Amino acid sequence: MTGPWAEALPWVIVLPLVGAALTPAVAVRHPRVAGFWAWGVLLVTAVLASGLVAELLARGPFSYELGGWAASYGIELRFDHFSAWVLPLAVLFVVIVPFSWRYLDHVMPDERRPPFYALLLLNAGGMIGFCVTGDLFNLFVFTEVVSLSSYALVAVGGRGLAAFAALKYLFIGAVSSLLMLFATAQLFVLTGSLNMADVSLGLGEIGSGTAVMVAFAAFAVSFMVKAAMFPVHVWLPDAHAIAPSPVSAVLSGMVVKVGIVGMLRIYQIYFGAEVLELGAFNLALVWLGAVSIVMGAFFAIFQDDIKLMLAYSTISNIGYIVLGLGLASPYAVIGASVHVFNHALIKATLFLAAGSIIHQTGFRTLSDLRGIARTMPQTSAAMAIGAVSIVGLPPTAGFVCKWYIALGAFEANQAPFGFALVFGALFIFIYYIRMLNAFYFQKPVHDEVAQASETPWSMRGPVVLLASLCLILGVLGGIPLNFVEPAVLDLLPFWGQ
Amino acid sequence: MQPFGLDLDYVAVVVLFCVGLYMLVAKSNLLKKLLGLNVMETAVFAFIVTAGMVEGGDPPIMVAGTSAPFASPIPHAMVLTGIVVAVSVTAVALALIVQIHAHFGTIEIDELKELP
Repeated sequence: MTGPWAEALPWVIVLPLVGAALTPAVAVRHPRVAGFWAWGVLLVTAVLASGLVAELLARGPFSYELGGWAASYGIELRFDHFSAWVLPLAVLFVVIVPFSWRYLDHVMPDERRPPFYALLLLNAGGMIGFCVTGDLFNLFVFTEVVSLSSYALVAVGGRGLAAFAALKYLFIGAVSSLLMLFATAQLFVLTGSLNMADVSLGLGEIGSGTAVMVAFAAFAVSFMVKAAMFPVHVWLPDAHAIAPSPVSAVLSGMVVKVGIVGMLRIYQIYFGAEVLELGAFNLALVWLGAVSIVMGAFFAIFQDDIKLMLAYSTISNIGYIVLGLGLASPYAVIGASVHVFNHALIKATLFLAAGSIIHQTGFRTLSDLRGIARTMPQTSAAMAIGAVSIVGLPPTAGFVCKWYIALGAFEANQAPFGFALVFGALFIFIYYIRMLNAFYFQKPVHDEVAQASETPWSMRGPVVLLASLCLILGVLGGIPLNFVEPAVLDLLPFWGQ
Repeated sequence: MQPFGLDLDYVAVVVLFCVGLYMLVAKSNLLKKLLGLNVMETAVFAFIVTAGMVEGGDPPIMVAGTSAPFASPIPHAMVLTGIVVAVSVTAVALALIVQIHAHFGTIEIDELKELP
C-alpha cells in the first residue's frame, strides 16, 4: 500500500542531479541566473521531500524499485525514518542558496557561478540519494558524488591555500571511500547480494566470523573519517574554514553527517542479522566521542579566526552525536539522531552570520572584529543565538538534544560521561563567551568595523530565519524527538547493551 | 594456489594495497601521493574482480556453446563504476595539484610547509 507521494521518491534524487547538469546551459548567457535556477530546483526538491515525509507519517516506510527491477536484482530506494533527514537537508539548502547570491560577489567572478551552483546541486543530490538508497553499492556511489563535489567546493573560491586544503581533504576522503568500497565488496562476496535487506538476511545465515567483522571495521573507520571524529579529523578545520561561508555551512552542517547516517545504515544491516556483539565497539565510540568533544573545544579556544573556531566546534558536536550513539540507551540515541539535524541548523546559522560579518568588514579574526555588534546588531544577535544554542542552554535547539544525551548517559549507568558532557559544554561556553565579549563589549579597533553597515536583505533574511528557527525548535523540540523515536526503538533491542 | 593455506590472489591484493598506502603516507611529492592512491584503488578493484571468479565458469555472455556455471557479472559492473569514480577523483586531484603548483611553484609537501 503506497500513496501517490511514493512515486516521487526517485525524483528527489533525479531533480538536483539533472538540475546540476543543466545549470551551465541555463546560465549560458547570464551567469547570475544560475543562483536562481539552483534555488528553484532545490525548492521543488524540498516540496517533494515534504511529500515523502507526509507519506512516511501516514503509511510507514516504503520502497521504490528503480526501472521496475525487483529488489536484489535492481536498485531499491527505501524511505524510512532516518531517510526523513532529506527534508531538513533540502530546506536548509533552500535557505542557504539565497545567502550565496550576494555573498559570492567578493568570492568569484560572475562567469564562475554556473559551475559553483552545479556543484552545490550535485552535493545536495548526492546527500539525498545517500539517505534514501537501499543498495550498498549505490550508497558508495552517492558517497563519492557528495565527496567529489565537496572537494571541489572547498577549492572553488580561493587559490593556492584553498587548493591545498581541498587536496588534503581529497586524499583522506578518497582513502575512506576506498575502505567503504572494500567493505561493500566484502559483504557482496559473503552474501552474494548488494541489497541492504538481503545482505542483512544473508549475514544472519552466515553468523559472525572474521570476514564479517573486517567488513564492519572497514565501514566504521570509513564513516568515522567522513564524520571527522577525533583522531581522524585533521582534514576538517582547514577545509571548512577556507571554503566560502555558504559552502562551510553546507559542509559543516550536512556533509559530515553523511558519516553518521551511514553508520546508522550499517547498524541496521548488522543488527537485523544479530551477528555482532557491539559492547566493545560502543565503548570505543563513547570514549572517542568524549575525546572529540574535549579536543574540539580545546583547539577552538586557541583560534582567533572565527571560521576556524566554528570548524573545530563541529568536531565537538560530532563528538556529542557519536557519544550518544555509543551510549546505546533510548534517550541518548534519540538525542543523538535529533542533534544530527539541530547541529546542522545551528552551524548553518553560525557560519552564515560569520560569513555576513566577513563579507561586510573584510576581517575574520576576533581581535579585528571587536565591537562589530554596534554596527551590525541583527547579524550579531543571530550569531549570539547560534552561540547560546550550540552551547546547549535552554530555550534553544541545542539544549534539547544535549539534555537527552546527558539523560541517556545516566540511563545507561555511565554517569561519568554525563558529567563529561556537561564539562564539555562549559568548555565550549568559554570560547563562545570570548566571541560574544569581543563582539559586544569591546571597542572597535578598525574603521571598517566602526562604519560597517548591515548586510542586504537577501543575506540578512536567511540568517535571521535560521536564528529564529534555533529558538523555535528549542520550544518545540519535542516534535523531532517524537518523530525519530519509533525508528530508534526498532533498532535498539539489537544495540547490544 | 594456496601456499601456507593462503589464497595467493588475496595476498597480492593486500601487498598492493599496502604499497599504495605507503606511497600515499610517506612520499613528499603530491603527484606521487596521488599515484599511491591510484595503486590502492587498483588493489581494491582487483579484490572485487577476483570475487567474481567461478572455477571453470564461462563468461556470462549468452551465445551458442556457453553453459553454466557462469562467472558473476556483478563485480565487473561494480569495478567499472569504481574505475569511473577513481578517474574523477584523479582528475579533481590533478586539477588541484596544478593550482597548487601555479600558486606556490612547488608540489613538495616539505617545501609547502615552510612557506608562510
